[in-house]
Amino acid sequence: MGIRLYTAPRLENPILVASWPGIGNIGIIAVDTLRGILGAEEFGEIEPWDFFYPKRALIRKGILEYLEFPNSKFYFKRTEGKDLIFFIGEEQPTEGGRMYAEGRKAYQMANFVLDIAEKFKCHRVYTSGAAVALTHHTIKPRVWAVPNSENLIPELKGYENTVLMSDIEDRGGHGNITGLNGLLLGVAKKRGFEAICLMGEIPIYLQGLPLSYPKASKSVLEVLSYSLKIEVNLDQLDELAERVERRIEEFYQQIPLEIRGQLDRLKYVTYAKPTEPGPITEEEERKIMEDVEMFFKKRGEGG
Amino acid sequence: MNQEYPFKIYKKPNLRTPSLVLGWSEDVGNLGRKVTDYLNRKLKGQEFAEIAPEDFFSLGGVSIRDDLAQFPESKFYACQEHELMVFQSDSPRAEWYKFLSSVFDVAVHHCQVKELYILGAMVTMSAHTTPRELFAVVNSPEMKEVLGQYDLARDMDYQTPPGERPTLNSFLLWVAKGRNAPGISLWVSIPFYLAAMEDPQAQKKVLSFLDERLDLKIDFGELDREIRDQNEKLAQVRSRFPQIDDYIHRLESNLMLSEEENGELIKKIEDFLREGG
Repeated sequence: MGIRLYTAPRLENPILVASWPGIGNIGIIAVDTLRGILGAEEFGEIEPWDFFYPKRALIRKGILEYLEFPNSKFYFKRTEGKDLIFFIGEEQPTEGGRMYAEGRKAYQMANFVLDIAEKFKCHRVYTSGAAVALTHHTIKPRVWAVPNSENLIPELKGYENTVLMSDIEDRGGHGNITGLNGLLLGVAKKRGFEAICLMGEIPIYLQGLPLSYPKASKSVLEVLSYSLKIEVNLDQLDELAERVERRIEEFYQQIPLEIRGQLDRLKYVTYAKPTEPGPITEEEERKIMEDVEMFFKKRGEGG
Repeated sequence: MNQEYPFKIYKKPNLRTPSLVLGWSEDVGNLGRKVTDYLNRKLKGQEFAEIAPEDFFSLGGVSIRDDLAQFPESKFYACQEHELMVFQSDSPRAEWYKFLSSVFDVAVHHCQVKELYILGAMVTMSAHTTPRELFAVVNSPEMKEVLGQYDLARDMDYQTPPGERPTLNSFLLWVAKGRNAPGISLWVSIPFYLAAMEDPQAQKKVLSFLDERLDLKIDFGELDREIRDQNEKLAQVRSRFPQIDDYIHRLESNLMLSEEENGELIKKIEDFLREGG
């Protein structure tokens, strides 16, 4: 088990951008879209069999032709002044039916990714994921930025539509980033890389749906491209976001009127500091959460 | 046992180039366990090695089956007089590649196994009176050629449907291929209403192939009695419940049943067989 590099590209001072699937596939869509737009070339992979159960078998005329595993691939792109390495993991290496990677396997994979960062002397690492938030799907998602070093905070404060954990209502600067999109940040810190995780907001009532949320991927990509000083055309993401938005709206209309009324109030949430009174009280927020949870529970039971 | 080698060989068996038959404990019709149990019983299989459970199974408690607490087991047996090794195991829940590699470390590296026979069963919408079919999937064209002389369906085409995952048997066959070990994954058909029970006819179909292929000289007396007993019980259900007889008759005529009828047939057969007829 290990890393297989097909070529060893010469890269100058590169930056690593990594992502795995997660809620709404927000991070991976953002990173993979950027990879596609820039036309980054594949140059290596993490061998999959020790991390993953195979995803597809092909048997032809009684002979097992091949077994396909989830990909964990590296790509590179030389750009003016800033070379990039992308890592895209098609799945997180989970154990025992969990949704996100944790434990030894996750740590091993994070280290493999950073081995490449080290080999090519990357000076910064970005990861990306989702931030489940009390927001509405008609509102432009913000990006929550979590750095692994204090030195990065002033830079992040200068980004548009971006908040730190301490800016987020009632969080007091605390929180969790589940799975490898978060773990990589910590392992990067341990190994001396500066790293930032950019998380696009997804409305709390959409987090359990089997839908991607490209609207938040776009927010992430706007921040990421600004940070990387790369100009990208995000039209393709807009088209995808519009398609998904139509499906979300269909789903939304199926929610009982009473609960929808509560959710509609999320349209008017202002991002106030905890000391300032917001348009929704804590009690109301709790009620919204209870109603939403009850709706999804009933929906799950009823099939 | 240590981190590097999660298996323990108590006593290396005196085998030259054995074949390995591998069965999982919880598959359709309990086929893997029943066939490997039968082989061990009739061919005097002696346990000689095991794979430790801690890396591969959730050990947060025990499961209970048929009123009994269970604990995952993965054991190797040697049938000395027949150049045969048997591996009977619960299906691992994690670290599959490491688990399957351990099977090969014991079988090929330590015991020079030359061929691998992986047992599996598939549910069919046919009646129990229809002869069981045995399908083979191999990991090399050479092995397919070798199997030409046996009563096997060897031309299966299959692709994992979207949303599903390959079987552990396919994974094992692929690992075997990587180790240049000829492997055969055997799939026997089992009528859907016996899938949660046992199907001695399907067991015999598999054992007969292994007997012929590996020259094992298995005594089938005990299994023949089981087949006879089960056929008698199924005949009793048919005579006692005309509706069930009608369903089975329609299956025998290659007619489909509705979902509701399938459910009724399964329930009635399972209840009857569990109560002992």
